[in-house]
Amino acid sequence: MSPSVFNFVDAKDKFTASAIHALAAKNGKQLVNAFNQIPGNETEKKTTLDQALRGVLGDQIVEQKASCDEYLSLIYLSIDAVTEGICSATTPFLLLGDVLDCLPLDQCDKIFSFVEENVSTWKSNSFYTAGKNYLLRMCNDLLRRLSKSQNTVFCGRIQLFLARLFPLSEKSGLNLQSQFNLDNITVFNKNEQESTLGQKHTEEKEEGMEVEEGEMGEDDAPAPCSIPIDYNLYRKFWTLQDYFRNPVQCYDKFSWMTFLKYSDETLAVFKSYKLDDMQASKRKLEELRATGGEHVYFAKFLTSEKLMDLQLSDSNFRRHILLQYLILFQYLKGQVKFKSSNSVLNDDQTTWIEETTKLVYQLLREIPPDGDKFATMVEHILNTEDNWNSWKNEGCPSFVKERTVDDKPKRPTRKRQAPEDFLGKGPDRKLFMGNDELTRLWNLNQDNMEACKSDSREFMPSLDEFFAEAIEQADPANMVEDEYKVVRNPNYGWRALRLLSRRSPHFFQPTNQKFKSLADYLDSMVSKLAKELPKDIPSEEIKTGEEDDDDNGDNLLKDSNDSPSIQSKMVTNQQMDDMAAKLGAQWKTLASHLEMKAAELREIETDSEDVDMQAKLLLVAWQDREGTQATVDNLVTALNAAGFSQIADSLSEA
Amino acid sequence: TVTSLLHMSVFSQSFSPCGRFLAAGNNYGEIALFSLSAALSPDATAQSQKPVLTFTAHEGPVFSLLSTDCHLLSAGNGEISAWSWTELIKKNVKPLWTKRPNYNLEIPEINSMVMNPRDNSLIVGGGDNNVHVLDLERGVFKLVLQGHSDYVHCVSVREREAEILSGGEDGAVRIWDSRTGQSVHCIEVYKYESCARPQYGKWISCLTTDSDWMLCGGGPSMSLWHLRSLSPTSVFPLTGCQRQAAFHQDMILAVGEGPFLSHCLLGGEVKAQIPCTPQSLNTLQLNTNSTEHRVLTAGGSSDHIDVFTNLSYRAFSLRF
Repeated sequence: MSPSVFNFVDAKDKFTASAIHALAAKNGKQLVNAFNQIPGNETEKKTTLDQALRGVLGDQIVEQKASCDEYLSLIYLSIDAVTEGICSATTPFLLLGDVLDCLPLDQCDKIFSFVEENVSTWKSNSFYTAGKNYLLRMCNDLLRRLSKSQNTVFCGRIQLFLARLFPLSEKSGLNLQSQFNLDNITVFNKNEQESTLGQKHTEEKEEGMEVEEGEMGEDDAPAPCSIPIDYNLYRKFWTLQDYFRNPVQCYDKFSWMTFLKYSDETLAVFKSYKLDDMQASKRKLEELRATGGEHVYFAKFLTSEKLMDLQLSDSNFRRHILLQYLILFQYLKGQVKFKSSNSVLNDDQTTWIEETTKLVYQLLREIPPDGDKFATMVEHILNTEDNWNSWKNEGCPSFVKERTVDDKPKRPTRKRQAPEDFLGKGPDRKLFMGNDELTRLWNLNQDNMEACKSDSREFMPSLDEFFAEAIEQADPANMVEDEYKVVRNPNYGWRALRLLSRRSPHFFQPTNQKFKSLADYLDSMVSKLAKELPKDIPSEEIKTGEEDDDDNGDNLLKDSNDSPSIQSKMVTNQQMDDMAAKLGAQWKTLASHLEMKAAELREIETDSEDVDMQAKLLLVAWQDREGTQATVDNLVTALNAAGFSQIADSLSEA
Repeated sequence: TVTSLLHMSVFSQSFSPCGRFLAAGNNYGEIALFSLSAALSPDATAQSQKPVLTFTAHEGPVFSLLSTDCHLLSAGNGEISAWSWTELIKKNVKPLWTKRPNYNLEIPEINSMVMNPRDNSLIVGGGDNNVHVLDLERGVFKLVLQGHSDYVHCVSVREREAEILSGGEDGAVRIWDSRTGQSVHCIEVYKYESCARPQYGKWISCLTTDSDWMLCGGGPSMSLWHLRSLSPTSVFPLTGCQRQAAFHQDMILAVGEGPFLSHCLLGGEVKAQIPCTPQSLNTLQLNTNSTEHRVLTAGGSSDHIDVFTNLSYRAFSLRF
């Protein structure tokens, strides 16, 4: 038996009947059953059902008895049918389109509510691709039918619906080229003949906005009475709207000049006329409501000259105008891919725009209530606009984040080392302190105290190192002046004292000599050291690591104490008395050989009149200066040099 | 000439009884007549802001102007002249009469005039330290109010109480009984600590009354006084010395040193200061004679007179 032939008309009739039944029963099962029963392939059956449904709808419309609900039930049915897979996905949209085309606007409103409510359905996978173009076309048709000023809410709903339906990157919803609504022309009285000033008193009032109040109000009866009008401001003010309508004009030099002049004047008025009375604007708002009944939304400005004063004192009105300025400036300054190449601002224009932007924000902040908050919000919104602008310039890239595809499963790398490794038990036997520097330090020496004791931490200089310079300076042959001597440096002196206390026994030897200053004390120390630390015996200098300079001092002490030579003996007091007696007035001759300074000689002379005494004083001074070097030997040498060999001999013998 | 325009000062203003014209007096002794209807019309041009008539009224500066039902009274150089408004509008500049109070010594300037509608008299205050009262019906000076020790800056009238007020360089505001000519009160404003500004001086250059209230200012800060109790209720923190003030609805308008028109509230708060063209203002007038041309005009040390259609911003300026 050959497969049954698909009979279109038959199928269509069956579907139609079944659909009507399904509607009545409010159950789509019947339709599904009918579909399954009819012979034929899927495609054929589907398209037939589409036709059938459209036919049912057409009949309903023609009868004009059906209500919106009935149309909607049919459409619901078709949606279910799509879900069941028995009908093409485009059918619900076609049905919607048909219904909206045939109904008057007030009923379209209800149908559209249905569309809005089911936006999630339209966005679902099965419907979206098939239906989006139909929906777009349908909405655009509706928008064309609607008046922007009369049906503002409906238009808004359609726009919002489109915004929800389409993803952000859907270009058909965008004003890609940043075009302007050039048709939005603001009409005002440019001509004297048209002005309301000459009109008769019988003219009807404008929508309750003619309530005269404020400074120029009148106590007369509310019959329309004329008030003085600032035509100058009126004309200039409303002319500005044309620049907002078509900003490209600003790039033309002459238009720009006019815009500049008029803007300056207008903004000066705003600046001069400060709004501070919130009560006044509240009052006006109440009156508006009272006369109109409900809150009326104006899509276009009212430009009667009589309203100018009232408008100037209205906060919202000012905010509108100031915001228009900011939007305009943003456009002029902005980078828009679709701007022509001569749409560029020159420097003067840029400067003026910057200054005026500051003024506009200041004015916005001053407008009560909550001026500051409003200004901040506006600034934020305009900044966000910049983002949208650059997004458009880049060709509207999609916002959907693509999931990155993993190629191969990677072995999980250890972020942290195993605990054993850094506790010194790992293969390196190193302790990781978590930081390279710390690790290095730790592994040098773990015990801080031990580390401090290591030789490399021995920073105290040796006596000869430290005093080398001072010793050299003390040498009169070098002729270093006193003030340049390093011993005069207090810093040096302090360190010298510390070093002497650590390394030199001279520090602890008691002395009669009174030192006038640290520098003088150091002078004497330095000379003592100079004698002790001979530099021309390098072999003594080279010592092993253990031996340090403390030994040097010890050696010296031993030397001076252990030497059996009489010549190395210290000169005694008795000896000095004897010598003084012998020297007498000749003590001065000896003085030069004892390397006494002229100042010291003078001091001796003033101290005593007696020459013997003076000689004694000389010897004492010498002894003090020399310290351990005040030996018999040295004195004998000096005496011989001075020519007092006899005295020298007697000293030696003693 | 251009230089004379530069040095021009407008000292006085007065609106015509019909409210369509403004007369302004300057320091050159000239009076200019401006057509408000022309300046306020939608097809006004720059020429509409120039005077329709300018003429020399006196030899000295025209410090004071005043309008009655049909006359314009001007004071300058110690004399008072009367002009017919109708004739002036027709550009006929012949004065109806010119009179002079009896002066003792030299001829002083006249600083201020005010009408007393009660008995149709003109109160005149000037440089001879006296306030003279001219009977307009009979044309004779009937009273001399003596008491100020220095010249009189400004005069005002309390019609209901039949009192004349005068403010002078000597710092006193004197209240006179207009029938007897006796000084009933003397307020030395500078002696009140709340108002006194010794750094400026003690003179009273601005004085205006509204039933029980009085505004006065000058060297001392402008202050609002309650006349029954003769005490200051509010002091206005305006820098500079005020030269003219007016009560307007529930606000006070004041002009003086400084290029602004100050709006003040009765409590003492300065609500707004609207920028004006002249650097310093001498005169302030509100046109109550016509609703169509109900503007505020302010003049001072400039040849420009600012016109306000809306009290909060300057709309345009008339120019001599």
